[in-house]
Amino acid sequence: MLQDDPPPDFLKIDFARGRPEPTFNSHIGNLYVKRGEKGTRDEFVMGFRVHQHMCNPAGGLHGGMMMTVADLVGAMGGGTAAGLRKFLPTVNMTFDFVAPAKVGDWVEGRAELVRATRSLLFTNIYLTVGEQKILRASSICKIPSGDGLSFGKARLVREDAKP
Amino acid sequence: MAIPSGFRELTEASGFAAANGPWFEKIEDGRAIRGFLPGAQHANALGIVHGGMLAAFLDSAMGVSVWQTLQRRAVTLTLSLDYLGPARIGDWLEAVGEVVGHDEQMAQVRGRLYGPRHQVLGGLGAFALLSRQRTLKTRS
Repeated sequence: MLQDDPPPDFLKIDFARGRPEPTFNSHIGNLYVKRGEKGTRDEFVMGFRVHQHMCNPAGGLHGGMMMTVADLVGAMGGGTAAGLRKFLPTVNMTFDFVAPAKVGDWVEGRAELVRATRSLLFTNIYLTVGEQKILRASSICKIPSGDGLSFGKARLVREDAKP
Repeated sequence: MAIPSGFRELTEASGFAAANGPWFEKIEDGRAIRGFLPGAQHANALGIVHGGMLAAFLDSAMGVSVWQTLQRRAVTLTLSLDYLGPARIGDWLEAVGEVVGHDEQMAQVRGRLYGPRHQVLGGLGAFALLSRQRTLKTRS
């Protein structure tokens, strides 16, 4: 059976946090994140291994999976870059499906912060397999006024934190 | 909640569509309407339907509208989505696509996804038409 086998420094994201019902973020498969050096393009990198259950009938990574991950990278990665710790509802997303990905590929997602205003967050997102870009996306998220909903529901599964 | 009459479950789905379904379809006046009943596994941290799930669902409805209109298989090249309102768990959702223009290689498609009360997601996409000779084993 295909293992996720994430590259070094990638930690699994625990979206469920012990709640019995899985949400979509855990239902679609394991997602990982690497926190690189602050201020670099690797400050927030999301990654996942392509499994059969993420694919379309043609055998490639399903566009819905790419869009789901790009949405998360835009809100979580863009929010991280802007120093926001709130839930950021997506207002608009645009996707260009540049290349396919196949089972076994390790896909990474990075966000570039374009601009954060008081109420909106603009980001560009790329999903890549190695050096190959597979999806280009841009997203606009709403920044809720006040404290909004806290963004702290997901946490990283660290080896040393396991019981 | 019961599935509205006239909708057939898309049992030929595989992979991502099967793992995140079931999805339903009704053909009305030659147009495909896709239906979907979101459960807890489709929710985000706020408990509303995840934007990625909505995107995948609308994309499928827009893709099948190309098949219905042009009898050509298609793959998505570009897709632009406007999130107009939240969709709740347990709300029956429908999505439709409409081919607004095409040539031999490409089709332009408008799509909308709506719940029982309001519009949820609007879409505009360009789809690449696969050659008529090319066959796929199944379609999602």
